[in-house]
Amino acid sequence: MNTIVQFELSDILPRPEAVLQDQGVPGDRPVPDRIDAVFTQALDIFARSARPTGTISELTAEELTPIFRGEGENEADALLARIYHRADNLALFALTMGSEVSANIEKLFADNDFAAGSMLDSVASLAADKASEVFEARFFQDLSSRGLITPEHLVLGYSPGYCGWHISGQKKLFEYLEPDRIGISLNDSYLMTPLKSITGLLVSGRKEIHQCEPHFGYCSSCKHRSCQERLARLVS
Amino acid sequence: MSLLEQISTSLQQGEDKQVFELTNEAIAEGIPAKEILDNGLIAGMDIIGEQFRKHEIFLPEVLLAARAMYAGMDQLKPLFAKEGIPSIGKVVLGTVQGDLHDIGKNLVGIMLKGAGFDIIDLGKDVPPEEFVETAVREGAEVIGMSTLLTTTTPMMTQVIELLKEKGFDSTIKTIVGGAPVSEELARDIGADSYGYDAASAVDRVKELIG
Ligand code: B12
Ligand code: SF4
Repeated sequence: MNTIVQFELSDILPRPEAVLQDQGVPGDRPVPDRIDAVFTQALDIFARSARPTGTISELTAEELTPIFRGEGENEADALLARIYHRADNLALFALTMGSEVSANIEKLFADNDFAAGSMLDSVASLAADKASEVFEARFFQDLSSRGLITPEHLVLGYSPGYCGWHISGQKKLFEYLEPDRIGISLNDSYLMTPLKSITGLLVSGRKEIHQCEPHFGYCSSCKHRSCQERLARLVS
Repeated sequence: MSLLEQISTSLQQGEDKQVFELTNEAIAEGIPAKEILDNGLIAGMDIIGEQFRKHEIFLPEVLLAARAMYAGMDQLKPLFAKEGIPSIGKVVLGTVQGDLHDIGKNLVGIMLKGAGFDIIDLGKDVPPEEFVETAVREGAEVIGMSTLLTTTTPMMTQVIELLKEKGFDSTIKTIVGGAPVSEELARDIGADSYGYDAASAVDRVKELIG
């Protein structure tokens, strides 16, 4: 079943330290007042203009196979190919911070208020990331209440465009999930509008199925290294 | 402190209103616009650029200073009405067709402008022909292209090929940047240069212009 979710702002607001770090401000020094003022301004604009909405739908591994295969452009050893067949439950999701936030980032830049525009961009990106964590937690709780989670279970998200799952996978994902219903569209280069949007697959399974060593061919050009965070969660 | 030094200092502190007022004061005192630009605004931005490189200040402070610089420049513009604001080179900048990510491209533009380049920002989703036609028409020395998607990097190749086809590849240089772009990819697609970030973009464009 396809569910639409409105996220609570308080659940997705990023930590100030995370935003400042994203802006290149190191955490070990006092934050100058004028940077702090820009942060407050950006957070305020975000709170006023964000429309954080998501859609999520459970599916089986069989249903996922053609979606994951996408346009046939995945790496032969794509990480998810080794994982999803061993999963106990799967769900596809898409989420967005809405178009008004992006319009405000553009407006700030057009008004030469670059610092606030750039700060708002970081706030919105990190909030989108947090919203995907909220989806992970919700899926975990939902499965838990249905007795489908053991202490050995972990829910983690995987997205097209990462770890060998080619970004063109967005096409079939969109056909299945229809995120257009929450205002997300996809262009020919597989770019979503609004910009601050994320899609992915939530994988619930025993922790060991998520285990991976980042030594795939495609890892050499990866600047993101999100697997490190994944591995950390396996240990905790 | 001289008026020009005050402009530079206020700019470094990101005080846009002060820079606006001090620039007007300098104009009223009859200081030549070129001098206000070079020894006030650009001088202040140079210091900011240097401090940023040394990690003494951070992106938000650079961007506050840039806003202050723009506030001063807006006052000088009418004085350069005929020949335009003097620059050390002209760069046509944009995010390639099919991509709408423009924060990185904007930051590159701001830093280049701060270093004294004239920037023609074509925005995002820019077709190859528009890059080339604008650069030729405006007499630009460099085309800067940005993308964050692997699916749109072929658009960069198209611009480079179009330049070759039209015989402008020796007069108009290309520089590329963005998440999926690397020194190696830039070489493979025949770009003249690659910039890892906005600070290195300034150095690389200076190298290109010589
Ligand atoms: C923040 C981020 C997000 C945010 C916000 C998106 C946005 N950008 O607005 C969120 C979380 C929403 C997101 C979502 C997605 N993302 Co994302 N995202 C990033 C991330 C981590 C940073 C991008 C960014 O904003 N950087 C900050 C700016 C300032 O930096 P920049 O644009 O790179 O610009 C600097 C330099 O590159 C350089 N530069 C840039 N242009 C130019 C031009 C010239 C001429 C020069 C010299 C220099 C230069 O200077 C700039 C300033 O220093 C990148 C990875 C990365 N490390 O870059 C992935 C990345 C862009 N995302 C990626 C993907 C796959 C996605 C999703 C498809 C995931 C999904 N399935 O949902 C979606 C797509 C969103 C959409 N709208 O379609 C991939 C794209 C890969 C691909 N195959 O094309 C990347 C590269 C991550 C990866 N896999 O390595 N993302
Ligand atoms: S290094 Fe890690 S995050 Fe990057 S592609 Fe490899 S497995 Fe994925």
